[in-house]
Amino acid sequence: MKREHQETGAGGGSGYHVATAADMAGAKGKMTAASSMGMEDDDCGVDELLAALGYKVRSSDMADVAQKLEQLEMAMASTAAAASDDASVLPQIASDTVHYDPSHLAAWLDSMLSELNAPPPPLPPPPPVAAAVHQHHHQRFDVSTASAVSEPPAITTVAPLRPSDAYGFKPVPPPAAASGGRVVYGLDPQSEMIVSPRDQKRKRTCSPSSSSSWGAEAGRARGSRTEGASSAKPAAALPVVVVDTQETGIRLVHALMACAEAVQQENLKAADALVKHISVLAASQDGPMRKVAGYFAEAIARRIYRRRPLSQVDRALDSPALEDLLHLHFYESCPYLKFAHFTANQAILEAFSGCRRVHVIDFGMRQGLQWPALLQALALRPGGPPSLRLTGIGPPQSDHSDALQQVGWKLDMLAKTIGVDFRYRGFVASSLADLESRMLLERDGSEGDRDDAGEEEAVAVNSVMELHRLLARTGALEKVLRMVLAVRPRIVTVVEEEANHNGGTFLDRFTEALHYYSSMFDSLEGGGGQAAAAGEEEQQQKHRAMAEAYLGRQICNVVACEGAERTERHETLGQWRVRMARAGFEPAHLGSNAFKQASMLLALYAGGDGFRVEETDGCLTLGWHTRPLIATSAWRVSAASAH
Amino acid sequence: MAGSNEVNANESKMAVPLNTWVLISNFKLAYNMLRRPDGTFDRHLAEFLDRKVPANATPVNGVISFDVLIGRTSKLLSRIYRPAPSTSAAVPLLADLYQPPSADPFPVIIFFHGGSFAHSSSNSAIYDSLCRRFVSLCGAVVVSVNYRRSPEYKYPCAYDDGWAALKWASAEPWLQSGKDAKFRVFLAGDSSGGNIAHHVAVRAAESGIEVSGNILLNPMFGGNCRTESEKRLDGKYFVTIRDRDWYWKAYLPEGADRDHPACNPFGPNAAKLDGLPFTKSLIIVAGLDLVQDWQLAYADGLKKAGHSVKLVYREQATIGFYLLPNTDHFYQVMDEIKNFVMTNVQ
Repeated sequence: MKREHQETGAGGGSGYHVATAADMAGAKGKMTAASSMGMEDDDCGVDELLAALGYKVRSSDMADVAQKLEQLEMAMASTAAAASDDASVLPQIASDTVHYDPSHLAAWLDSMLSELNAPPPPLPPPPPVAAAVHQHHHQRFDVSTASAVSEPPAITTVAPLRPSDAYGFKPVPPPAAASGGRVVYGLDPQSEMIVSPRDQKRKRTCSPSSSSSWGAEAGRARGSRTEGASSAKPAAALPVVVVDTQETGIRLVHALMACAEAVQQENLKAADALVKHISVLAASQDGPMRKVAGYFAEAIARRIYRRRPLSQVDRALDSPALEDLLHLHFYESCPYLKFAHFTANQAILEAFSGCRRVHVIDFGMRQGLQWPALLQALALRPGGPPSLRLTGIGPPQSDHSDALQQVGWKLDMLAKTIGVDFRYRGFVASSLADLESRMLLERDGSEGDRDDAGEEEAVAVNSVMELHRLLARTGALEKVLRMVLAVRPRIVTVVEEEANHNGGTFLDRFTEALHYYSSMFDSLEGGGGQAAAAGEEEQQQKHRAMAEAYLGRQICNVVACEGAERTERHETLGQWRVRMARAGFEPAHLGSNAFKQASMLLALYAGGDGFRVEETDGCLTLGWHTRPLIATSAWRVSAASAH
Repeated sequence: MAGSNEVNANESKMAVPLNTWVLISNFKLAYNMLRRPDGTFDRHLAEFLDRKVPANATPVNGVISFDVLIGRTSKLLSRIYRPAPSTSAAVPLLADLYQPPSADPFPVIIFFHGGSFAHSSSNSAIYDSLCRRFVSLCGAVVVSVNYRRSPEYKYPCAYDDGWAALKWASAEPWLQSGKDAKFRVFLAGDSSGGNIAHHVAVRAAESGIEVSGNILLNPMFGGNCRTESEKRLDGKYFVTIRDRDWYWKAYLPEGADRDHPACNPFGPNAAKLDGLPFTKSLIIVAGLDLVQDWQLAYADGLKKAGHSVKLVYREQATIGFYLLPNTDHFYQVMDEIKNFVMTNVQ
């Protein structure tokens, strides 16, 4: 029974495994199972059987890991025996420990062993600026409490605030004049799309300095294969969660797929007929599937007809202010952005632990929804808040309003109220690739005697759904990541949509997007928090309608656009890991404390049971039922790149 | 705990391959951290530590999976596993997922994952792996039910969810096969899942839903008295009486003891199964599992009530032997399961 068994195909029929042609790729299949668990190529020598179950243990380490398990059990049993007579339940100290990356058994066990052997440390001293050696990263972020009751660790993040609460007044709506009075919101999603995503790129030529570079880039990039395509891998996993098993729902999906296939085969006549058929089917459908089908059908229609030239109205409808408004409603209507902000802030807080001067660079400032909570948390930090510098980056505004500055003023007022030394700087840029590191690092002259000359500034770079846009332009992501390296950040927080909308064929992309947005729309419907009063219910519905429009724009971009215009180039965690590693970053794991707090906040804000927080390889995802939809990861400059 | 820790570790290490020992010991360690003396459970940490896999409609080794919500208002999720539909498309369409895998009779296995009623989910990696194997083994469609767990949800929630899944599956036209368009269903489960399979089978027998067979892998049963096997094996092979007690307390109603019929179906409080059209059972018992006396008593009880039982007793097997394909126990038990299903699917 201790013999190692080879899996052999019992000739014909189903033996120990199905002996089909698919099994010629059997090894590949296994690797796929493993790669769906998030394994990369450098995990050679791991025990395959354990890897298939989600645990990475090198075969050569197996005996060592076994020994650690034994040691841990003995250590805990003796501590427990001393504390109580219940030897099978481990003392609280073990459960209050922050856990990281449970897949890496050896490291996980190590961190717990050192927890038990060493007394809990006081607030950790400021870590050295140079990148830490890999195996110590667990200790650095380890904040354990010795209390008997399970309490959140010393570093806390306050629950995300409603934007109106945070700023004390409502955010500024877009000026009606700019839209020419023709703003159509998504209450009727079948009607005219608010703006062609194609126009989004055009608007970024408003600021004279960048228009020439964009025009040339757009021309060059169109039709050429961008850097975004992922390298050949075993067949990607396609997670499918079926909620609506209505007969018409299935026919609708079938028709959409057939339509996409026709488009791929350039059979535009068939595609056109199918688009009309889809509209008919969708009309008789109920719920989120109807809306999703509507947006996809609309997007295919745009692709088929390639609306050109762009009308004046189209251009007018497209404004960053409008985009921000939809974004705000998306923020309100579902927990994804709140989760993103919360988990990113958690990582930033931990990285800033013990630092007296900190600098956050936000790649997508928008209305600064993420920052009030961080300010609050820093204000409440034991030992007092650091001085915080915030650099916000945003696109040029078509109406020449200075939204970027206004956000800064609001945050400044909040900071004054809660007693945090705060400085703000906004940068307008059409693309992150236009930025230079020295621009971000240089300080304005007004520092004067507030500058603690001796101490270095700890930098965090924060990117919430911004990096994927860079994949539309060859080399842009690499340039931006080089810039990030150059600012020597202590932590880089990245939040991205968890989907591959950037690889393979149009049909692949379409299929992925259909499943992704189906889950998304479903969560908007099913996950609405408890609205007590009738007025709140109406408000929630408005948020939802706008949130759907926000997502609808993404759908349109994914399906109807190509080349430089297709900016919604979402990629999965697995793909981002490869990119970040290549660029010189290593993972900074998010731990069980962030997981727990995110889960608890979810229960407060989301109400619906369908939302799930999951941990994979040190990253946290939020999804609807079993389908992760958004992923937060944190990164450090790798030891190799530090020199 | 009987025996010193060191002795127990050495004994259990001799009984299983090293990677199995690491896997099961890791679970034991983690689970110890999750159970609190006051009867509460650290659910957030449990979810954080559990290794999960997404469903995958792209064929892997000829098997695909997808998640279904059974009924929009209910939040009962199940993961469906099936042979990859034969389609020219690289990725099956939604409609393809609901095509019967074959015109000939095929089994539907409703699977209840283990975890002592408190741990794991239908998307836990260990159970995803096992369910995929069942598909390959028998050409089955497997429905892995994500039943509500204790201590948040006590008896009878898990049984209710199991029953709901069975009823849902029995009404799905694509799950019927053969010239007689019959729903050929097996109920299967390991540990607490085995217990659930039994109780759902009772309900099925009482309600006229025909079940082709029950497959119980190390099923979780118990009772008030301490059996010989419990005393002899306490703490020796990953499991202790104490943790068993905790899990029963967490699942059974407030104030109930282990002679509650959910725990002890042939105990003093149980209803008789004689005369009921209860299905045939394949019961697999591991010789190093401390609750084997209860499992053997269960098998006996079924036989005495006039029901067909095939008992497979693996003398040297521990709990969890079916999680890794690295022992004779694994392959021979899989063979038994395959034979049982193929024989009774007609």
